[in-house]
Amino acid sequence: MQPLAELNRDAAPAPRGMIEVSGLNHAYATRQGPVQALENVALTVGQGRFTVIVGPSGCGKSSLLMMLAGLRAASAGQILCAGRPITAPDPDRVGVVFQEANLFPWLTALDNVAFPLTLRRAPKAERQARARAMLELVGLGDAATRYPHELSGGMKQRVSIARGLVQDPPVLLLDEPFAALDEQTRMAMGEELLRIWAATRKTVVFVTHSLTEAVYLADEVLVMSARPGRIIDRMPVPLPRPRSYEMMASAEFGRLRDRIWQQIKAPAR
Amino acid sequence: MLVLGRLALLAGFCALWEALPRVGLADPELLPPFSTVLATLGELLARPALLADLGTTTLELLVAVALALPLGTLLGLALGENERLARIFDPLVFFLFSIPKSIFLPLFILTMGIGFWQKVAFGVFSTLFIVLMSAAAAVRSVRPDHVFTARAFGASRAQIAWRVYLPSMLPILLEGFRLAVIFGFTAVLLAEMYASRTGMGHQIASWGENFMLQRLFAGVLLLSVVAIAMNEAIRGIEARCSHWRS
Repeated sequence: MQPLAELNRDAAPAPRGMIEVSGLNHAYATRQGPVQALENVALTVGQGRFTVIVGPSGCGKSSLLMMLAGLRAASAGQILCAGRPITAPDPDRVGVVFQEANLFPWLTALDNVAFPLTLRRAPKAERQARARAMLELVGLGDAATRYPHELSGGMKQRVSIARGLVQDPPVLLLDEPFAALDEQTRMAMGEELLRIWAATRKTVVFVTHSLTEAVYLADEVLVMSARPGRIIDRMPVPLPRPRSYEMMASAEFGRLRDRIWQQIKAPAR
Repeated sequence: MLVLGRLALLAGFCALWEALPRVGLADPELLPPFSTVLATLGELLARPALLADLGTTTLELLVAVALALPLGTLLGLALGENERLARIFDPLVFFLFSIPKSIFLPLFILTMGIGFWQKVAFGVFSTLFIVLMSAAAAVRSVRPDHVFTARAFGASRAQIAWRVYLPSMLPILLEGFRLAVIFGFTAVLLAEMYASRTGMGHQIASWGENFMLQRLFAGVLLLSVVAIAMNEAIRGIEARCSHWRS
């Protein structure tokens, strides 16, 4: 007998996801022998959806994101983005935001945002107009001429988000983008990201190890196990949008966070 | 205020130089007054022969630096990028760097004579290791996450070289270039003083040997100004290229 999901799919083919990953496996060699980092990972992210991948340290969630960005190759499996395989970085389809903002310290905020367009040799006027618009979007319109060392951690990460969006890719990948920020800034940045997401309707994949952040941001949370990384739960977050700080105190929020926690908590030693 | 203070210091120095021989606290034969030296310098600068010497020295330095910079940078890049190569060559380079280059000067004369190219070769030899070491340090200062980020936005190898490596390396490279010019100037002048028929070093040496102290001081003054001007020019470029480092 076929599982129910299979039957459903046959009945009405779901619209293809913006991101479709299937059969993804990754192993790397160490002195102690090969280590299985990812095991049979499959996921689908629908267009315009906000998906958060959460898991314990070292579960391979960042590696998975780097593979989605085309920055790292998997041992086996397929990654489709907008219907075509991802084998190398493709800024037309995917924008990336890293844990450290990774801004170039010799460029102003504006030139950092415009950097991807510079690589494409876009005309200067267009580059600047586009970068300026993105800085406005992330609320840094008046910081265009500042250098990274003149920006706070939160501001740097906003510039980094603006840079990820500047080529208007359908997909934005974020690798623990707020992990290095203090708690208050982190909360504010989460809210800010949701606002930007609502304004741009990008398909977002966001990696974090913070359960609260995951539930607060996501349409769907993918929970990964410790190494070898597998997706052990796909949890829809039915909380209404726009999300608010107050929701974190609700019983529903607590229940969702607890469901993740029960699955990833390390066994007591 | 700061500028005024510094100008006052300079003026004080010149005034002291002027006064010491005039009031008899220094022997005017050994330390001619500042104004006398300035006048001598004016006379010397009007002579085509001296300008030719200055031109020779400058050209030797420029050619030496023009050879040592690309050569040293390339070797430094190779060591900075290739860990296996670096492990073999690093100690050697470090040892060679610590040896005073002047002790090799007689060898250069024995093999190359005392002409223009011998000065250039000694200049290259004296600066190569500084350029090499600073280029290697500059490559190692390029942050891998900057390269990774550029790749994520689709940068080609050439774009990574031009837009990430070059701006990252520029501050350390320029610092090395500046030191190379200073060391190169010293080397070329030393080679000229030791054995030569032309050049400012040769003139300085012969003025000293012939007890022509007005000219000797004029020459010292002239070369000091040239050296400071070159150093400041490169420092100016450095400041423009590394304003973001702080």
